[in-house]
Amino acid sequence: MLKAIFPTLGRFRLAVQLAMLFVTVYGSLFVGSYMADKLSNALPALSCAYDQMNGGYCVLVPTQHILHHRIGEALVRAQQLTLGMVLPLLFTLLTFFAFFFVLGKAFCGWVCPLGTVQEVVGKLGRRLGFGLRRLDGDGLPAVRRVRPVKWLLLLGLVFVLPLLTGLGVTPHALGNPYCDICPARVATTLLTGNTEQLALRLGDGWSFALGATANFLLGFLLLGALAVRQPFCRICPLLAFNALFQRLSPLRLVKHKHGNCGKCRICSDACPMDIPEISTEDGRRAYTEECTLCGRCVEYCPQDGTLQLKWGPLALFASSREYYKARAKGELPDGTVKPLKFLRPPRPSAKPDA
Amino acid sequence: MNRQFFGTLLLCAATPLAAQPDHASHAAPRPAAGVWTTQPLLLPAGGRGERAAALVRPSGIAAATLNVYAPVGGPTAGRQTVAVDAAGARISSGTPQLGNFHWLVMREETPERVKVASTAWYFGNPGPSPKALLAETRHELEIVPEPLPREHAQYRESEKWRFVVRLHGQPLAAQPVMLETEFGSRSTFTTDAAGVATVLFPRDFQPQAKESGHGRPSAGFVLSTEKESAGVRYQTAFNLNYGPDADRQRSLAWGAAFGLLGMLAASPLLRRRGQPVNEEVGDA
Repeated sequence: MLKAIFPTLGRFRLAVQLAMLFVTVYGSLFVGSYMADKLSNALPALSCAYDQMNGGYCVLVPTQHILHHRIGEALVRAQQLTLGMVLPLLFTLLTFFAFFFVLGKAFCGWVCPLGTVQEVVGKLGRRLGFGLRRLDGDGLPAVRRVRPVKWLLLLGLVFVLPLLTGLGVTPHALGNPYCDICPARVATTLLTGNTEQLALRLGDGWSFALGATANFLLGFLLLGALAVRQPFCRICPLLAFNALFQRLSPLRLVKHKHGNCGKCRICSDACPMDIPEISTEDGRRAYTEECTLCGRCVEYCPQDGTLQLKWGPLALFASSREYYKARAKGELPDGTVKPLKFLRPPRPSAKPDA
Repeated sequence: MNRQFFGTLLLCAATPLAAQPDHASHAAPRPAAGVWTTQPLLLPAGGRGERAAALVRPSGIAAATLNVYAPVGGPTAGRQTVAVDAAGARISSGTPQLGNFHWLVMREETPERVKVASTAWYFGNPGPSPKALLAETRHELEIVPEPLPREHAQYRESEKWRFVVRLHGQPLAAQPVMLETEFGSRSTFTTDAAGVATVLFPRDFQPQAKESGHGRPSAGFVLSTEKESAGVRYQTAFNLNYGPDADRQRSLAWGAAFGLLGMLAASPLLRRRGQPVNEEVGDA
């Protein structure tokens, strides 16, 4: 029965993504509207606090607020750092890790609402025949050159600027700068029919500039995702945040070396993040900071057991030649699908009478 | 798994949440510059309060004490009674680390008349949601938000919010409820069969409104109602703050323009179209 509904891991993941999109964007219908009712405020996914109907909050919100309001302001007042100031941050990180321990970076590939939106747009792009552009020598910056951006955003916008604002060095409008430029804030609120976050705040240059950046990014990713897979994920500071802890979660990608590795490169073609190391490396080095644990590389690896998604000692899903053949019949590694046939093919014309 | 387990889990998960920003005066009413209503009010005295304590000043009501109800503990165990002096009442959260919404009530009573002023106060520390707090009955006639604006949100102009009117704990149907705002608007709403008054906040904000938490402009409002029962006249009011309509401070046109600009910037990515869809994937 389940096999009929979810014949592939990809289909199962899409179902989970859509269910989690509902939970993260409209979850208050079940859990309640108050913050204390939410699943958590430390989710390792871009579940936006500005969405009034959400089911939980992204961990980046309290991280910025605690640095701004608790630690920064307390440092100014007390000129010293006490446990009471950093305790909320520790609680946030512990709560985050409680979730992260279970699903690890799969929060990016299976739960994040913005990831799902980009992936759905990407599927639409493949369906409409837009050519896929890779960040791998395809006229675009290589993956490795883009990687530092997410770390810079994490450091600068999630940690440093909120703290400086709390210390009074930077203006109040820079108190939660990452949320202000986050396209998930605009996208998820729009999904609830609320245009408030799309509208730019007037009267304050910083707020206007940050909001304009968010909208620009959203516009870019909505159109760009038709041709480039997961464009925002590549610079997302939450992916960097999750990457900090990725070795501490039992859920991981495991790669065993095979003679064909680095030659066929089908796994890298299938990877929505264009990660070359999946093909060229093995062991821990194949599970890079970019990986979102979506599992597509495992699905498309044609070698039995070479790639695996494992939770501790349990192999949740392993590559196999038979699975690969069946999977590739429905969808090519780069996501290209066979065209839908809405019309019957024309009948062969009758032979004209001689 | 039982509800208690989930309750504990949710509480743990939410722990840092309420701790994040300084919301000590986030949802609390601001003092009016002058008297703008004859209804009883509970107003903050002073600026931004401490995280777990604040000073509240009564207006239009006289009583020696003020009751603070915590979101846990119920009407009895969760209650603190605070003395009111010339400066006001020094309130604090249930325990130093218990935050979230608390319910404040002051009661002035004579044999013929009972006057009640009520408001909600957000203490910026972790604490359970106010659902149970709002469901508890404390006085004969009550106006209770259903729900309160969640943390980080507020009542705003042009929005409709629901308030339940209860008499002796039961919903009171067809009861008029009057809304007064700091900017002078007056309107009356009537409760439905479930005792719910759906209140439309008037679009009356004026630019000189003062700023409350997070630099947001806000102004006071009060909802009031009266009812006579068994020879006693009950007068009850609930006051809090509301803010301007988001449209006043934001531009959708500018927002859409930058979104379109982003799309324009991404459009070169779409230039190279089409790939053969029937490409064979051979065995590796």
